[in-house]
Amino acid sequence: MKAQESMPTTKVERSAKFVKTGFQIGGNYLKHYSKKLFNPALSREELNADNASDIYNSLSELKGSALKIAQMLSMDKNILPKAYVDKFTQSQYNAPPLSGPLIVRTFTKNFGKTPERIYDKFNIKSTHAASIGQVHEAMLNGKKLAVKIQYPGVGDSISSDLKLVKPFAFRLLGMSEKELNIYIKEVEERLLEETDYELEVRRSIQFAKACSQLSNVVFPTYYPELSGSRIITMDWIEGMHLKEFLQTKPSQELKNKIGQALWDFYNFQQHELRAVHADPHPGNFLITPNEKLGVIDFGCIKEMPDDFYEPFFSLTSTDLLEDKEATIQAFRQLEMILPNDSPAQVEFYYKAYKEMIGLFAKPYTTPTFDFSRAEFFTALYQYGEKIAKMPEFKQARGVKHFIYINRTNFGLYNILHELNATVRTDTFKPHIKLKASG
Amino acid sequence: MATAAQIQKGYIDYVLTHYEQPKSVYSFAKKLKITEADFYSFYASFNSIEKNIWFELTSEAIHEIAQQEHWAQYTAREKVLSFFYSYVELLKSQRSFVIYSLKKHGHRSGTPEALLGAKAIFENFAEETINEGLESGELVERKFFSKRYKDALWIQFAFIVNFWIDDDSHDFEKTDEAIEKGIQVTFDLFQRSPIDNLFEYGKFLSQNSKFKERMRF
Repeated sequence: MKAQESMPTTKVERSAKFVKTGFQIGGNYLKHYSKKLFNPALSREELNADNASDIYNSLSELKGSALKIAQMLSMDKNILPKAYVDKFTQSQYNAPPLSGPLIVRTFTKNFGKTPERIYDKFNIKSTHAASIGQVHEAMLNGKKLAVKIQYPGVGDSISSDLKLVKPFAFRLLGMSEKELNIYIKEVEERLLEETDYELEVRRSIQFAKACSQLSNVVFPTYYPELSGSRIITMDWIEGMHLKEFLQTKPSQELKNKIGQALWDFYNFQQHELRAVHADPHPGNFLITPNEKLGVIDFGCIKEMPDDFYEPFFSLTSTDLLEDKEATIQAFRQLEMILPNDSPAQVEFYYKAYKEMIGLFAKPYTTPTFDFSRAEFFTALYQYGEKIAKMPEFKQARGVKHFIYINRTNFGLYNILHELNATVRTDTFKPHIKLKASG
Repeated sequence: MATAAQIQKGYIDYVLTHYEQPKSVYSFAKKLKITEADFYSFYASFNSIEKNIWFELTSEAIHEIAQQEHWAQYTAREKVLSFFYSYVELLKSQRSFVIYSLKKHGHRSGTPEALLGAKAIFENFAEETINEGLESGELVERKFFSKRYKDALWIQFAFIVNFWIDDDSHDFEKTDEAIEKGIQVTFDLFQRSPIDNLFEYGKFLSQNSKFKERMRF
């Protein structure tokens, strides 16, 4: 591997790094097509190699500092999927807004009618970008609506982008393609699901109904008859995003209330529904004027099968961790310890993963937890740093479900940390079929 | 007495069934049970039928978009985008013929002959739209170059149509992307850009005599 020439240090530099990669890739396409003008026989291979190496360079330069938390979440092997998830949902689709005519075309393709014929009022200028589309404001029967429109071709480019980076990903992580494949497939599945707006509407309605017992969490009403494969119509929820909310200097009491709503929302889903909104991105939440948490995006749902749920949450919420044999047994079920591991390896991974689970489960160990505590997060980062330096973690370990479950829970912890909230963590507890111990 | 539409229909049917032009006007007329004179009173050759189909499709699209709500408020950029979206929608109705007529041309360079049927009317539309954009200040007037803007749009036309015939994505979504991205970048180039500012700065410097002396131009 080529030695790191320089490590981007500040936040600005880091984002500049991503921008630079964007330019380079754009440049690669231009180079490709201008060469192709004179030599039509030129293959795409050269272009793909150019692109992939730029992505690869950029990722490897960023490794270390910028993706610290990602490493924590992922025990190194998931860095790349994490980078994919972020790069290919947010930055990749930082596309320019759709033109008016293309919006009209999307409507006529979906409904055979222009937006003006469907809504009483439709603002052709989008109010903001969603991860793979953009949001417009509309009025119908005196109600303000949010209309989400997907960029064309997103699904195709997700698959091709993942294919493009794959060979470099496994080289970067020193993993075999076969090992990495299950993780990449998991990410690809979730990303592709996000592009299925019909599925999203069905799930949103289903989750809003299932979560209706939660106080302080609100969902928009969805309109399936005004939604299609590329368009979602829902109620417009007034409110502030987390950042704006914090700028209003809310009282500690209010911050705790919002934090509690978030905690309940996630833990209710995980433990009562066994399926969870797996994208705790601050942009997916709004704090409404009457002090409730609005949830506005159900694109990414992770379902937890029993063979993951049982061993994982019995580690976090019972005293199983005290019992070494039972813990190793659970680690084996979760493929954190593999059948061919030597006794020394078993011991090593047992210790390393026990520490991780201990950190993860910390908020559950007391009835309330103060997420403003910096020590907890410092411990997380330090653990991540330590793990990143260990050659033992260059190997694929852990079942694929970890990618999204870790992302969800650590994402939640991070938002709660930003809120400086203290929450009751015993509201929705894991349900574990208690087995005879031993 | 045959009509132009009947001959056109018969011709499309023939080429799509045999995947080649009829051997002669004589045999084709016989098949349609019309006289050669009937044929020639409408069309000079088989190629002129093809060109006419392209002409009709293009003219229909131009006519159709002008009926849209908001057409008058559209910028030049939006008018051209709107044209292409309507056009590829319209082409769907004749997709087999479109593919036949473009593929027949093979990989030889230059515009397929049949497309020339669309060229004059498209360029007329493009020129009108560009002039509106130049007048409103949306696009920038450049010596020599602004006369060539319509040529750039014609290149996009040929590119998009060729892209569309090979597009196998769901509902031709890739073509929508090709239109959106291609037309946006083309119009970005028609607008005032850093190149214009650079050019003007260079002009300013070269006109500044003191600077010239010092640099010993």
